[in-house]
Amino acid sequence: MNRRIMDILKKREVLLLAIIVVLSLLVQVRAPSFLTYENLANVLKACSIVGIFSLGVLVITISGGFDVSFVAIAQVSEYLVVWLLLRYVHGNLLVAFLMAILVGTLMGLFNGFLIDHFKMPAIIITISTQNLFYGIMYVVTKGRLLYEVPDYLGKMSNMKIFAATAKNGAAYGISGVTILWFALALAVAFFLRYTMKGRSIYLIGGNATAAERIGINMTHSTLMIYGIGGGIAGIAAIAHISVIMTVIPNSIVGTEMDTIAAVVLGGASITGGTGSVFGTILGVLLFALINNSLTLLQISSSWYNVFIGGVILLSIFVNALQERRHLRQKVRVKVEMQEV
Amino acid sequence: MKKTRFSKSENYPLYVTIIILFILMSLVNGRKFLSWDNVSAMTYQMPMIGLLALGMMVSELSGGINLSIVANANFNGIFIYVVLNALTKGNMMAANGGQFILALVLSFLMTMLIGALNGYLIAAWNIPALLETLGMMTLLKGISLVITQGYTISDFPDSLTFLGGGSVLGIPMSLIIFVAVCIIVHIILDKTVFGKQLYFTGANPVAARFSNINVNKVIIKEYMLSAFFAYVCSLIMIGQMNSVKATYYDSYLLIAVLASFLGGVDPAGGFGKLLGTVLASIILQIISTGLNLMRLDPFMVTATWGAIIIIVLFGREIAGKFSSGLKRKGAVQ
Repeated sequence: MNRRIMDILKKREVLLLAIIVVLSLLVQVRAPSFLTYENLANVLKACSIVGIFSLGVLVITISGGFDVSFVAIAQVSEYLVVWLLLRYVHGNLLVAFLMAILVGTLMGLFNGFLIDHFKMPAIIITISTQNLFYGIMYVVTKGRLLYEVPDYLGKMSNMKIFAATAKNGAAYGISGVTILWFALALAVAFFLRYTMKGRSIYLIGGNATAAERIGINMTHSTLMIYGIGGGIAGIAAIAHISVIMTVIPNSIVGTEMDTIAAVVLGGASITGGTGSVFGTILGVLLFALINNSLTLLQISSSWYNVFIGGVILLSIFVNALQERRHLRQKVRVKVEMQEV
Repeated sequence: MKKTRFSKSENYPLYVTIIILFILMSLVNGRKFLSWDNVSAMTYQMPMIGLLALGMMVSELSGGINLSIVANANFNGIFIYVVLNALTKGNMMAANGGQFILALVLSFLMTMLIGALNGYLIAAWNIPALLETLGMMTLLKGISLVITQGYTISDFPDSLTFLGGGSVLGIPMSLIIFVAVCIIVHIILDKTVFGKQLYFTGANPVAARFSNINVNKVIIKEYMLSAFFAYVCSLIMIGQMNSVKATYYDSYLLIAVLASFLGGVDPAGGFGKLLGTVLASIILQIISTGLNLMRLDPFMVTATWGAIIIIVLFGREIAGKFSSGLKRKGAVQ
């Protein structure tokens, strides 16, 4: 077969797309309500928050870093922003976003500073800051819920683009949160592909020493990468409030690993250097589809983790298989060269 | 001043931290902290953090990590329930000695199998440990959830709950088991060929391979050892909670990473001693108990645990600057 076609087929995105299509068709046979505009719009809305989180995680993962504190960052900025909006600031959606991004970025920068300053593994630092952020928030807020979230925050998720009406009269459509996710995805994709800074992240993840040698300032880069991660977590925070309209201090605790799994499933290497926005979106979508099809097929939701775990293990195994074959080819080429 | 053997020890800062914290907590809490009840409660709880931290430490010796350790422990407890339930046809309380031992043996084999699978995928297929164990964690948690439907399962036979929850002559069984496990693992890590090979593999895998060490085999054994801790944890969990659930101790997963790091384990592999990790677990337990006695929010404990690492890092840096400054002064004189 043509080599270029082979190369394209080997890409993670194609594999994921194939799995998604096959899964969709299988579910469609058993549950005809699956491939309807209403259901798909709901699925997209449900996974938008994880989708937004995953973009920040993607940037950090590409750089060879690791972050488990992003959910804690989002939770803190959520609480802080709503509290400020209720007490002191008469804002609107834009103000809320700006404040959340600011708070999130600051916490991300704190991560970046510690990682760069101590030259410690990111996983250790971010586990500590995760506990630190959560802990401080709990102690200060005493775990109180905030109910009276300003209405203008909810408008975003209730927005219905390409609206349609269901048989029972309820309107549905693409949510504003989904639009936010895709817009942000485009922005991140543009940043990673077409800007110097974005491309340098791939280099840092692939070979940090080489990156330093060609004159990339590692301190600035680390701060930038974790700052972006924090900022995106701040955006996710506002999207999350917009959907649930209550600030519950522990509502998203413990979902870190789900997002990281989705990013890794999307083809980002945990050791850094590779990863794409498209793949990440597909990873998030696959998890959302599994969840949705369990509901539609009336399978107990306790099976969710089994499927997710199975998919993760299978995909990394396939990846390892490909890499082994790739390595063998390389060796063969070397041998042939020597014979010549 | 003549340097004693004590101050030369690499765990010196940990001993000092324990003493300072102990005095601090006693001053703040007074009698309550020093009471026999409290001290024995601490020795009752500490083995859980300690075992998870040690399991994490072992997996980090080769530069890996074992995120599946808590899920493995929970799954093992549920597996014991499944076996006992099947053997006694639904009446677990009435399990006799033979059934009891059969359940323990079968679950032990199961845990070792999971550990071996972890090690095999990581070593033979070159899969990053973080990823592989993340997948395994999700899968095991999923299977546990499917079996229990998310419910808590109780009514274990007394002989089983005694293992983790009972006490002999006032000493909690969990502490006795913990000390026994520590001695066994100390011998494995420091006195056997496997232990030496493990440290060597972690420090320099390429050199280890060229020294005719079967690196894959070492890593498989390493993850089996790590799973062994999950097995002991599950016994203690059954004893202390008198029940099993798919999500017990979930929040301790990352704490275990912190504890091992505090104990001087290098996540890049090759370095880390049993004693350091045990001392670090004691530190975390003192903080936890002390803050609980002060009636602070349990989340304050989490925050303090997180802050401790950052404080330790800053402290180490300042101490480093201080001592290098002293050396320079000495050179001038």
